[in-house]
Amino acid sequence: MHQSSFQSALDTAGKGAERIAELFYWMAGGATLIWIVTMGLAVYAILSRREHSVRMTRWLVIGGGAVVPTVVLAGLLSYALVMLPELQRPAPEGSLTIEVAGVRWWWRVNYIDNTGRRIPTANEIYLPVDQPVEFKLTSEDVIHSFWIPSLGGKVDMMPGRTNRLKLHPTRTGVFSGVCAEFCGTAHAQMRFRVVVTDQQTFDDWLVGQAQELAERREPSANTDPADVHQSAAETQAAIGKTTFFSRGCSACHAIRGTPADGVVGPDLTHFGSRLSIGAGVLDNTPENLRLWLSDTHRVKPGVQMPDFQTLRGDEVDSLVHFLGALK
Amino acid sequence: MNDQARRLLEAWRTPKGWRYWSAVNNSEVGLWYTITAFAFLLLGGLLALVMRIQLAMPDNDFLTAEQYNQVFTMHGSVMMFLFAVPILEAISILLLPEMMGARDLPFPRLSAYGFWSFLIGGVFVCGSLFFGAGPRGGWFMYPPMTTQYQNDVGADIWLLGLSFIEIASIAAAVELIVGVLKCRPPGMRLNLIPLYAWYILVVAVMILFAFPPLIAGDLLMELERALDWPFFDATRGGDPMLWQHLFWIFGHPEVYIVFLPSIALVAMIVPTFARTPMVGYGWIVLAAVGTGFLSFGLWVHHMFTTGLPGITIGIFSAASEAVAIPTGMQIFCFIATLLVGRVTKSVCLLFVLAGLATFIIGGLTGVMVAIAPFDYQAHDTYFIVGHLHYVLVGGTIFPIVAGFYYFYPLVTGKLLSERLGTIAFWLMMIGFHVCFFPMHITGLIGMPRRVYTYPAGMGFDNLNLIASIGAFVLAGGFAVFLWDLLRPKGKQSAAPRNVWNAGTLEWLAEVPDQPWGVRSIPIIESRYPLWDQANFVRDVDEGNFYLADAEEGLRETLVTSTVEATPIQCLRVPGPTFLTLWAAIFTGGVFIFGTFHWYFAASASGGLAFLTILVWLWTGTAIIPEKPQKDVGLGLTLPTYVSGPDAVGWWAMFITMLGDMTAFMSLVFGYFFYWTVHEEFPPADAEGPGVLWPMISLVAALAAWGLMLLSRRLNDRENAMLFYISTIASIALACLAVGSLVGGPWLHEMDPTVHVYQASVCVLILWTVVHLLVGVVMQLYCIARRAAGKMTHRFNADIINVTLYWHFMVLTTGITALTIALFPLVA
Amino acid sequence: MKTTKPAADGLLSSAKLWTLTFAPLCWAAHFLASYLTSAIYCAKYAPADGDGLPIRIAVALFTVIALSLIAWIGGIGLRAHHMGETKLPHDDNTSRSEQRFLGFATLLLSLLSGVAILFTALVFVIMETCH
Repeated sequence: MHQSSFQSALDTAGKGAERIAELFYWMAGGATLIWIVTMGLAVYAILSRREHSVRMTRWLVIGGGAVVPTVVLAGLLSYALVMLPELQRPAPEGSLTIEVAGVRWWWRVNYIDNTGRRIPTANEIYLPVDQPVEFKLTSEDVIHSFWIPSLGGKVDMMPGRTNRLKLHPTRTGVFSGVCAEFCGTAHAQMRFRVVVTDQQTFDDWLVGQAQELAERREPSANTDPADVHQSAAETQAAIGKTTFFSRGCSACHAIRGTPADGVVGPDLTHFGSRLSIGAGVLDNTPENLRLWLSDTHRVKPGVQMPDFQTLRGDEVDSLVHFLGALK
Repeated sequence: MNDQARRLLEAWRTPKGWRYWSAVNNSEVGLWYTITAFAFLLLGGLLALVMRIQLAMPDNDFLTAEQYNQVFTMHGSVMMFLFAVPILEAISILLLPEMMGARDLPFPRLSAYGFWSFLIGGVFVCGSLFFGAGPRGGWFMYPPMTTQYQNDVGADIWLLGLSFIEIASIAAAVELIVGVLKCRPPGMRLNLIPLYAWYILVVAVMILFAFPPLIAGDLLMELERALDWPFFDATRGGDPMLWQHLFWIFGHPEVYIVFLPSIALVAMIVPTFARTPMVGYGWIVLAAVGTGFLSFGLWVHHMFTTGLPGITIGIFSAASEAVAIPTGMQIFCFIATLLVGRVTKSVCLLFVLAGLATFIIGGLTGVMVAIAPFDYQAHDTYFIVGHLHYVLVGGTIFPIVAGFYYFYPLVTGKLLSERLGTIAFWLMMIGFHVCFFPMHITGLIGMPRRVYTYPAGMGFDNLNLIASIGAFVLAGGFAVFLWDLLRPKGKQSAAPRNVWNAGTLEWLAEVPDQPWGVRSIPIIESRYPLWDQANFVRDVDEGNFYLADAEEGLRETLVTSTVEATPIQCLRVPGPTFLTLWAAIFTGGVFIFGTFHWYFAASASGGLAFLTILVWLWTGTAIIPEKPQKDVGLGLTLPTYVSGPDAVGWWAMFITMLGDMTAFMSLVFGYFFYWTVHEEFPPADAEGPGVLWPMISLVAALAAWGLMLLSRRLNDRENAMLFYISTIASIALACLAVGSLVGGPWLHEMDPTVHVYQASVCVLILWTVVHLLVGVVMQLYCIARRAAGKMTHRFNADIINVTLYWHFMVLTTGITALTIALFPLVA
Repeated sequence: MKTTKPAADGLLSSAKLWTLTFAPLCWAAHFLASYLTSAIYCAKYAPADGDGLPIRIAVALFTVIALSLIAWIGGIGLRAHHMGETKLPHDDNTSRSEQRFLGFATLLLSLLSGVAILFTALVFVIMETCH
């Protein structure tokens, strides 16, 4: 049902995550050592039949209880403080900037290109590898938290504030992001996919995302009459488009280049190219899309999209074709 | 049994039959309190099991999302508010007087009122779960989700029900502070106090300063929910961050509030089984006091990911590391004590060891998450779930179980089974670690907290299944423990007196225990008098010390000075009454009816609560004694009535008002917080209260306060006529202060729903007005007491305490007036 | 046993207990001052690059004041602890022993508060900007 993708803070693919994972391993090792020594002492103290002198134990209290912890903690703190500014520092001027807003229970994403134009998408983020990227994080309703474990730490999305986060992917792959702050009913199903690619693929993808529907739908001159299957699908898609409007989908969803300009729900202009449905809940396959359209609230309890159980089977089919074709 | 003993027994006799529930003595109230808190622990545990069933498998549908959200919200809330804090108060009410050779705490009826409030509030909050109306915003209740997106009654139940319990907790804190400072036995100097009492003193002071910010936050949130005052609505200038600050200023000290009392139990248990005095008594006192302070400097580490400036994060990261030092120090003192002594093995010690082993892991992961960069990854994941349960179960629950094994014979006269205890120990120990250790890994590989389900194939499946199995093994351990507590022990022979051969005073308790606590109140010369003082038990039992008699048939205990513990008063403590139960029922009514917006019923209930409390005060406090002083034994004569700073009542008022001021300062903090987050505050177009009216209220309050001081003096001079005139004039001025405070916003047509500026001015005014009105009631009370002959120049506790209240009133009104009138001019 | 005259008690005569809290109160004051200064500065007055020089100077000043106060309090504690015979654990039933105990606890609290203050100061030594 779910495509497995990486969501581990220890399986790193970003600079922040790498440094933090390394910090974790050192701390975990040190903590294990301290635990073994302390508990060893405690068990020895209980089992030992010898009565130790008060003077000796007083040194234990001063050394083990006061001096050693102070020194160790001061060292650890210094290390962390040195590390902190680099993690907090904004990405250099001119870096890729992405605006992400948390909405119950999905992610509104806007890429800002060099001309300052916003390119909207949802629930999926493409990143070029080995480039710092600056996120501007907001919320449209409650508090959410934006977290891609493999790339780095999380930052909360607060209504009324814009928080920022810098990430720096170091290897390509598909990763998983989640909402980390409890945000209500469907908190568990507020997820997204992160695709880290090489620069070229990313640039092509972004150009594609910027296009509107009409730009891509030029009448194809070289339609092969033999390819009946293809044209049947196209017919289906055309019916689906009609259904999309007649059933009111456009009230909430935008498909750029068509009259559909709803802003309540995710932008669907390039829905067919996305990896998942329903904010990372299902893999984007025709079967899953059919399930989503016909039984939305069972797939994702609490979702704000109305239940469209009144859709007829053929309407669902046509919508699946139409949406799937929005590459 | 001689006549003396018979009289003493008669005075302290526990009521029989249905009147049993009118008891207020610490041994009854403490026991009810403990049992109730323990019952809530079991409920919280069952909720946890329900969660573990849901999470055992991926994509499980055992619970719906909404059910799960209610269950985890209630699990956290029950464990924190209905178990962890109450159990420490319960055990302290039960045992603290015994540890200090006192007959009771100074305000037994207050303890009883606190208990009944706790019971009513707790049942109300938990009951909501069975109607599917439970709160579902998490135990942290972050707005705006809980203010704008949950319109059902759940959040109100949480806010009002738990505020009610928080107030009861503060009442208990007042009681315990005064208890430790003023009700110690003669000779128990500060360097001889049992460590438990040191810890409880620190913890009670922490409650006093930690709970009020949350109460202030609750007030703000309820005002937003009920009246649409936009404190947390960003579109109208509000900011959800303020709630996080107020919640965590409470929430982090809270962790230490529940941890320190349990460590206090360990500090009593360890010397007993090591058969030697605690090594590093001074170090432990340092650690307790130091932790108490430092714990107030950590709250932002719960907010590391909210986008605060790095420098702020650094400051709180540093303090969070520093607090580990005193925490670790205590552990080394315990180990040192075990090294010095020759250890007697017992189940108590097994649970102490379980507590140490578990808590140290929790402490070490705590040091890790206090390192901000690591927290960026770990925050709000299962790593934190693992960490906090290691801290709370290791630092609180295991020591409490050890405490149950240790003190059970003291309370019931029967021993618990070592065999069952060992079985319970292994089940709990294995179950706990199997359940919670994997969570650290689950969190790091990406599982967030508070999810009702998770997809398969992410690596979470096996770890969650293991955790769920561990949870049931842990529950099995608790079942064995519960059986051991409850199994019939009729045939079992009574435990010997001082069964563990301990050195501290509570082990003077006879088997079966007598309601008087101690036969006579001893003179203390050592930290472990039962070990060090010759013929100690015999002298106590033969009534060779203080207050061995109750000639007047009244309940009496000694009040001593704060530092040297020299006797200063023979305090008459009140006996059984149903007034406290009724007062709790009616106060509960205010909150419960208020939840459902049944404002008429709530007001009626409030009126009844007010009357009941008045009757309680009128008939039960500052009673003029039949003789001004009495012989308490050993040739010592002590006054039976004192007022001013010598009196426990004065201390209670003073301490309560410190808590009250803390809540008020939290509201003032809110006002200035909004200033820091806004470019322009107050907003240019916003109506303010003006300068004139707040200033009039300030002058009127100052004058009312001055007249109150004059009234006190006039009362002392027995000048009744002028006393009445002056007090009535003071009341008039107080009413003027109220009128002008309300007048400012009224005449300027300030609408608190427009913007957070107006709302934060209005909430300061609301707070001040309510307090001034309470002050007026107190003044009327003094007039009535004087008229009824219950207050004279010699017996003047009422007016002295009311004047003390008015010192704080003038401060409150002053801060409010200056802030709302003058700050806009300088901002 | 002779009749003891009831001792007067109250806020002032319990002053010895309050001395315990002086050192941690210094820490609290230093902590709050450092936090509030930097929070308000960073929220309202910091330049775009978040340069933190003014707050670093301020915190250096706070630290010097707080540490001097703590050294003074710790000194009082040390003298009380050393008064007469210094033998721990100060558990005699005498006013002397009680004073020595309080002195010892005050000394330890001063040390702890001092360390905590240094930890806070360390933040401002290492971090140069608001970010």
